[in-house]
Amino acid sequence: MIPFTVIGGFLGAGKTTLLNRLLAGAAGRRFAVLVNDFGALDIDGKLVAAHGGDTVALANGCLCCTIGDSLVETLLELLERPERFDHIVVEASGVADPARIADIAVLEPQLERDGVIVVVDAAEVQERAADRRVGDTVLRQIKAADLLVLNKIDLADDPAAVHDWLSTQAAAPILEARQADVPIDVLFGLDRYGVAGSKPDQAFRSWSYAWSEPVGREALMAMLSDTKDVLRAKGVVRFADAPDRRSIVHMVGRRIDIGDGGPWTEEESRLVLLGPKPVLGSLQRE
Amino acid sequence: MSTIVYAARRIVTMNPDNPFATHVAVRDGRILGAGTLESLSGWGRFDLDEQFRDKVILPGFVEGHSHAYEGGVWKFPYVGFFERTSPDGKRSPGLKSIDEVVAALQVYEKTMPKDGSTLFAWGFDPIYFTGRRMNLGDLDKVSTERPVLVLHSNFHVLNVNTPVFARANITRHTNVHGIVKDDKGEPTGELQENTAKYLAYKAVGIDLSGLLSDEPATWGFARVAQLAGVTTATDLHNTLPDSTVLAYEKATASVDFPLRLLPAFAALAMPPDDGIARVRALRKKNSERLRYGLVKMVTDGSIQGLSARMRWPGYYDGTPNGVWNVGPDEIDRILLAYHRAGFQVHIHTNGDEASEVAIESVERALATAPRWDHRHTLQHAQMADAGQFRRMKALGMCANLFANHIFYWGDVHYARTMGPERAERMDACGTALGLGVPFAIHCDAPVTPIGPLFTAWCAVNRLTASGRVLGTAERISVADALRAITLGAAYTLKLDEELGSIDVGKRADFAILDEDPLAVPPEKLKDVPVWGTMVGGRIFQAPRT
Repeated sequence: MIPFTVIGGFLGAGKTTLLNRLLAGAAGRRFAVLVNDFGALDIDGKLVAAHGGDTVALANGCLCCTIGDSLVETLLELLERPERFDHIVVEASGVADPARIADIAVLEPQLERDGVIVVVDAAEVQERAADRRVGDTVLRQIKAADLLVLNKIDLADDPAAVHDWLSTQAAAPILEARQADVPIDVLFGLDRYGVAGSKPDQAFRSWSYAWSEPVGREALMAMLSDTKDVLRAKGVVRFADAPDRRSIVHMVGRRIDIGDGGPWTEEESRLVLLGPKPVLGSLQRE
Repeated sequence: MSTIVYAARRIVTMNPDNPFATHVAVRDGRILGAGTLESLSGWGRFDLDEQFRDKVILPGFVEGHSHAYEGGVWKFPYVGFFERTSPDGKRSPGLKSIDEVVAALQVYEKTMPKDGSTLFAWGFDPIYFTGRRMNLGDLDKVSTERPVLVLHSNFHVLNVNTPVFARANITRHTNVHGIVKDDKGEPTGELQENTAKYLAYKAVGIDLSGLLSDEPATWGFARVAQLAGVTTATDLHNTLPDSTVLAYEKATASVDFPLRLLPAFAALAMPPDDGIARVRALRKKNSERLRYGLVKMVTDGSIQGLSARMRWPGYYDGTPNGVWNVGPDEIDRILLAYHRAGFQVHIHTNGDEASEVAIESVERALATAPRWDHRHTLQHAQMADAGQFRRMKALGMCANLFANHIFYWGDVHYARTMGPERAERMDACGTALGLGVPFAIHCDAPVTPIGPLFTAWCAVNRLTASGRVLGTAERISVADALRAITLGAAYTLKLDEELGSIDVGKRADFAILDEDPLAVPPEKLKDVPVWGTMVGGRIFQAPRT
């Protein structure tokens, strides 16, 4: 079975940029990517091995197809091709419900649903979500996500507020990004959070921690590396070595990312763990 | 260069200078003139043909919104609620309950070879049935050996039997949107989404779009149109793959093909630059009976399918707003591209929010790239109100209103989707006429049967299937309705200088009727029998049953 990922999000959120990163960073993995329009893809001419109307084969083994009128039809044609792919990624249209597209993988025996990634434009999403014509479409997409990429975070007036607002709209973990620059590995093997489609197979729980005093960076890293059965961790932390900054901590699988979230404005440091049975190692006081 | 003068009981020309005539002269497939035998005799030698002397001749009907699939569906049995006529003129009776549908399918099944081949039927319309919905058990009574698929009249929902689920691997554990399940979690046999439907088709080896648009299907469409007096019809949304283009080319190459076929390119099938190049290339293939050049965009879903985009206060029964097929920003971008390239764009808008977005999109396109006489047309515009019609008028837009909806779904709109007030002004022909918005009325075949006289009847009487009059203020006169199915529709297709009225120099395209639609009581308009048509001077008598 071939893992199947859907990248959704409203027009202009950065879906294509994310796809470009995926193709550039394929590193030996053979992706087949279904897009609405080649023109937007940043395909290096030197890397094109063959160009055949609706498809472009890349020298690194990846293949890009335009979707045309019927996504299901294009996808099934792709599965009939002799080449095998390690992963199929579909770019949903700007108004599509990505959860519906991911349903294809539930019905088609050759595919395995890997997850729905929804890219969100941090600078515009709240305005879009309030728009009387497209607001419901935008929110439906967000709720369908298994992973939210909060893109263009650098362009948001108040990144923390957008992040907080987004976390109230959906259960999925949120990854902040600029120019859709996210580690490729975290995009795959997602757990089920999206509300449309079927229920998650396993119930997960969330545990939260709070510290009023600044936290030692090394200590927190050690604690996170010690965790068991934690699928995701996220938090806003005041580190002892940067007490006037909001440090945004993300853990996806074994990967830990720490980003800067602006000046410290919170009451306390908070960390939320998600997993079937999250067990946190103890935080050693320095 | 022979000239034939046809005598008729009456000729209704749609030419205000000369509204009625008794004779029409035809030369080289075109109209030489209409008048009396005496007034036409100055054109020189002619043969007098009196075979229509008891008939009434109108301009050939122009169907501005239909789909050539109408010709292909008749390869399969029809199981709808309303009686319907096939291309060979045979009437299929309406089926009034699930049991009647099952019984009809059982009879049909017995005629099929015993090889496990698939039984596909279409037109199932349970909207007026009371009680339970069709399920697996019903269609298992038809066969447990062969796959049985029954497509609903809305072309969105599909019912199947157990063998289809077995082949498509659909079980109670298949958690996919659109696979309907009962209280106990068992799939009922109803599939409501494209993904589930497509995979069911694939599992049983049906290529529906291929089957519905091959050369025989194209002929079937022309014949079913001919039966209704139609001489020009659109195929108003087609991705136009090479196989379809070839089928259209082959079928229309024959002088016996009784229709001018106008395929509209589905603009969302490819990026605009590629689409524009595609339509330009297709235009080079244009002939007397095949005309490319129309472009179609679909913005929202359907009202009865609860997928139309509505303005506040939304659906009467509280259903959340429908879905965009393409979002407002994209509508702007795509429309502007085709607008700049000089094309006329037909924009599907069912809900009033979709109409609003489309009107504003045309307004922006005109501000960016001013253009005269573009005639961009809202297709359906079923919920457009007077304000929207005023804007359409100001912008030079046309409307093609879905008058048949009043009969087929008016009761549902009244009770469930729109509520009384908005249902009473749906498909507002009276408003369009009063405000001077050029308009046509249509059937959207195969969604409803092709039959302009029926469509005109709907616009004139505004009766629903249950007999309710829906909005007397929006009724129009028989004369105005007849204009809408001839010259009015031709105008929305930019063919009004060539077709749509009986006038010197226009194509000799006629609808030949047994009775005079202006003389029968308005409530009988739909019952006026069609004898046949003339297309480019060639006579096509409808088969009689």
